Amino acid sequence: MKSPIIQCQQLSHAYAGKVALSNVTFELDAGEPIGLVGPNGAGKTTLLNILSGFLRPTSGRARLFGHPPGAVQLNGQVSALPQDARLDASFTVTEQLVFYARLQGMARQQAMLETGRVLDAFALTEVGHEKPPVLSHGMAKRVAIAQALIGHPALVLLDEPTAGLDPVNVRTVRAVIAEQASRTTFIISSHDLAELDRLCQHVLLLENGRLQTETIREDEQPTASRFITLQMEPCPALDVMASLKALDGVLQVTNPQKNEFIVEYNPGVQPNMDQLLMQAIHAHHWHYRQLSHGKTLEEKLFFKG
Amino acid sequence: MPPSFFNHLLLISLFELKRAFATRRGLLSLITFAVVWYFILLYPLRFAAELLAQEKGFKQDFGFLDFIGLGSIHHWPIPEFGVFWQLALIIFPILSITLAADQTCSDRERGTLRFIVLRSSRDRVFFGRFAGVMVIQALLISAAAFSTLALALYRDAMLFSSAWPNLLALIVNLILVVLPFTALMATLSAQVKTARQATLWAILIWTFLAGLINGLANYLPALAFLKLLIPGYQLAELTQLSGWQPLQLAYIPLLQTFILLAFGRWIMARQVL
Repeated sequence: MKSPIIQCQQLSHAYAGKVALSNVTFELDAGEPIGLVGPNGAGKTTLLNILSGFLRPTSGRARLFGHPPGAVQLNGQVSALPQDARLDASFTVTEQLVFYARLQGMARQQAMLETGRVLDAFALTEVGHEKPPVLSHGMAKRVAIAQALIGHPALVLLDEPTAGLDPVNVRTVRAVIAEQASRTTFIISSHDLAELDRLCQHVLLLENGRLQTETIREDEQPTASRFITLQMEPCPALDVMASLKALDGVLQVTNPQKNEFIVEYNPGVQPNMDQLLMQAIHAHHWHYRQLSHGKTLEEKLFFKG
Repeated sequence: MPPSFFNHLLLISLFELKRAFATRRGLLSLITFAVVWYFILLYPLRFAAELLAQEKGFKQDFGFLDFIGLGSIHHWPIPEFGVFWQLALIIFPILSITLAADQTCSDRERGTLRFIVLRSSRDRVFFGRFAGVMVIQALLISAAAFSTLALALYRDAMLFSSAWPNLLALIVNLILVVLPFTALMATLSAQVKTARQATLWAILIWTFLAGLINGLANYLPALAFLKLLIPGYQLAELTQLSGWQPLQLAYIPLLQTFILLAFGRWIMARQVL
């Protein structure tokens, strides 16, 4: 029987009496990347710090691969990108990454090769001989993510991996995560819901230290209706809603943001709703920007109903 | 299979050696130490030793050295070693308080310690750093002792064969002297945020602990055994001993080190990284 890679039971933590995490209980299996979302102060970093072994929970129990966080047995199996952690300013990037690889049990030569591999994955080969103070914020962040991938760990906890990165580097990080996802389970904490929507099959929502929902992809949910999210060029919202509502199979049309419409429809009545919508848009000489199946993660998590 | 405890201890302490001997900051500290030691060697140590070596000066100063509590200097067969011993008992504990102050604190504040404990354990980092700093101090003590030997040989090359046992005794005894000071700094470093705070706390704790325990022992002599908890408690007695005699008191620094490391380990295990 497959056992979960993470088990949390009644996990709580308080900072000087202020509750940061309250009775969080969940289990996660190895697999696709898992998102961890929630507003500022929701307890995401606290949860990741406990799982990484940086912080002891006030109460409750956490187990990773059956071991408590920080256990020596997790060396090489679990890695993390800690929030705001910086490398030692006295040593070069390569020296430090080689040291980390050696702590994971690699011989010197193997550690050098592995350091080269992870730096190359993030296009950082040329900064290997530099010391951390000369790196830009984006470079330092990518180096910090690179260290988390040394030795192909089975579980990687990433706290805000794309915060502060430019779009090109965000794409690089996303590509590396997607590439490694077949053998590594990533848990990604982020405020960028579009990013998580692209990467994650499974999302945990934390609010005020409590675990609110566990959301899975819409196509995995056994529901009678489905959704299409339509982003339009500037258009008359009331006319668009009226036209779309009149289509066969449409149950409801909402306009959560300017030029964005969510169409709820019955796939049993109209399986090709996307084509019908495009025909309607074309007939009215409107222009659309993007059409996607399902609701955005933001809609699913924060604007239900 | 994860690397063993001793494998990590070796890797972590070697990295500390690299920090001390192969980084700009470490080299700057070493050069500063070398320059200061050079002047100590050249003036106070050389002059005092030459004075003692002259039979006339020896007889004249004997009473004076006894008067200031350094009469044991003349028990050392090589005067340079006698003077070195007295100076080293002051210099190396002070050096230890500054050199060993940043065992974990700045790495913890910067977040670097998180990268390391992901691949090791808090115990391994704590003891690995302690071991690394002890090796660095052992090398500095040895370098200072060898330079003193060179000074003695420059005066009288015939001392070469008889100097070695005393040289070894000096090095071993001084390593024992700095052990509890290094353990105190390891413990403070696990608690405070900066090396400067660790140094200040060490001075405050040392002063107040010594004052408090001495005061208590005056009123309640039964509590005099608590003096054993003060790092450096045995230093005054050590100044009166020579050669391998200081080993008679080795249990004091070893006991202090054991207690301080156990306390430091406890703090480290509970510290937020």
